[in-house]
Amino acid sequence: MTKTLTALLAATALTVAMPMASAAQETGIGKIGLAVPNLQADFFNQIKLGVENYAAALGIEVITVDARGDTATQVSQVQDLITQGIDAFIYIPAGAAAATVPTRLARQAGIPVINVDREPEGEPGDTFIAGESVMSAYEVCAHIIALAGGEGKMAIIHGQRGTTPEVLRFEGCKQAIDENPGVELVTQQWSEMWSPDEGFQIAQNMLQAHPDLRLIFGQADGLAMGASQAVEVAGLRDQVIIGGYDGDIAALEYLARCEGAFVVTATQSTQAMGVLAVNSAIAAHHGASIPARQIPNAVLTTCENAQEFVENHP
Amino acid sequence: MKPADVKEKLRLSELFSFGGATGPLIGLLLLCVFLSFATDSFLSVRNFLNIMDQITVLGIIAVGMTFVILIGGIDLSVGSVLALSMMVLGYLNVHVDLPMALAIPGALLISAITGAIAGILIAYFKVPPFIATLAMMSIARGLANMITNGSQIIGFPAWFNMAAIIRYGGYLTITVGIMLTVFLLAWLFQRYRQGGRMLYAVGGNPEVARLAGIHVKRVTVLVYTVCATLAGLAGILLAARLDAVQPSIGVAYELDAIAAVVIGGTSLSGGTGGIGGTLVGVLIIGVLRNGLNLLSVSPFVQSVIIGLVIVVAVAAETFKRPAR
Repeated sequence: MTKTLTALLAATALTVAMPMASAAQETGIGKIGLAVPNLQADFFNQIKLGVENYAAALGIEVITVDARGDTATQVSQVQDLITQGIDAFIYIPAGAAAATVPTRLARQAGIPVINVDREPEGEPGDTFIAGESVMSAYEVCAHIIALAGGEGKMAIIHGQRGTTPEVLRFEGCKQAIDENPGVELVTQQWSEMWSPDEGFQIAQNMLQAHPDLRLIFGQADGLAMGASQAVEVAGLRDQVIIGGYDGDIAALEYLARCEGAFVVTATQSTQAMGVLAVNSAIAAHHGASIPARQIPNAVLTTCENAQEFVENHP
Repeated sequence: MKPADVKEKLRLSELFSFGGATGPLIGLLLLCVFLSFATDSFLSVRNFLNIMDQITVLGIIAVGMTFVILIGGIDLSVGSVLALSMMVLGYLNVHVDLPMALAIPGALLISAITGAIAGILIAYFKVPPFIATLAMMSIARGLANMITNGSQIIGFPAWFNMAAIIRYGGYLTITVGIMLTVFLLAWLFQRYRQGGRMLYAVGGNPEVARLAGIHVKRVTVLVYTVCATLAGLAGILLAARLDAVQPSIGVAYELDAIAAVVIGGTSLSGGTGGIGGTLVGVLIIGVLRNGLNLLSVSPFVQSVIIGLVIVVAVAAETFKRPAR
């Protein structure tokens, strides 16, 4: 999987035809605007760091704005970014698939749009960079189902309803459930912010309603970590098996300790996504053709390989 | 000579009075001057128009909130009512296929009903405003979510989004035009209509107002109804700006609106302040957010600065006012 990734990166670097450590005048790009939905979520923070670090090495200025989960705030922030004369726009829509307006605004100003993680329906950017969610979610769910011996009651804690990752991760996990007739999906609930406190509360209620629950899939590591805390409190560590998603630093550290109910996640290559986004921005600025969809793979992470990702996040 | 002088001065100050908000107005001007020097991109017509776009929703909510706070109340439900109005609009227009000419009044009507219920609870059942509107905040949010089971609605007619994008005569989008109209009407009402003066009387001392022949309960219900209707109107404009509606929108907007009203010099204990000050308060928040973005200030630092501005504005106002 790392090989595919390197190949992808090399390909992007080739289209740009530029060495890694070139200066600003060589990239021909001065400022990149980066709009993120919510920096409280570690996943977005990791992408931000990936973009900022790589851009700094190339001598490009990055202006980051945080919508704090509010679509309207994000539209205002994007207007401000355009006013500042950005050369390219890396856009992670806040909220559900709704926000087509920022893409339209940027297009009007002739600024290329790079979508990361989420893409607004009906208004695609120049490229869309997102992890392969369906297959990876399938792997996570298949892994925990196998650990449970292919049977038992299962619960899913969803992310924010209607967002691209929420829909696709459910699709992948559902495939794994359908392949195992012994597994019964007894309850599901949606969170607003993908956060640990929501995961805790939702899981606690689920365990109250279904004390014999065997499997929980949290669609983000925050949710899975919260759920694992709820399992601890209920004293059901030996009964329940939890899967997560994203590979947040905190979750990787938890997994590396090899104890507790939360045992597997899919680590997304957030640093690589940041690099890919910056390279795509440069390419789009020069009018070079870039693929409509770029897919850095997520890596199935358990107690065995978590430590290496803690030290060096992909 | 002297009395005439005083009279002249009074009239002049009257003309430029922003309802005791001269302090905030000076603050706003200083802020603009500072930003003009600190960044090249701030002082331009285009950026000023952007700011107007950005404060439209907050501005309209803050008008209703000013009236509520003037009578000594508070409305915590406006963010949720805004979301409910948006979802009703989306449901009627996209799912039921009603034309906008019916969907918009429908959304406004539902919003008005939530406000009337809160107002009746407060005026006739003696529920404290904080509690009544807190309950309404929860109810309206729940209803907004129930309409589509939590998902968003897209697919409005094309002209709807254009109302928030096309700048007529190069300056005015329809949405900004509506906000300015709301401010103008509210200002005229507060200043020149008997009803406007009643708000101050009720806020100053409800018992005295009642003895003076003001129907305090009816005024209270009307004020909360107007506040909720304006929140609903803000929701419709926000739907136009986003070209989509979702039930999770507008969380904590009530706090932004309260902040704007308070920065504009309206006292939370009621009876003093006014619309002019609120306009200044809304502009301060809008200019500050825009300016901090233009200066590329980190999002974490931004929220600290905005908090500090609220503290400074209110402290300055309290300090200026003689102790009673």
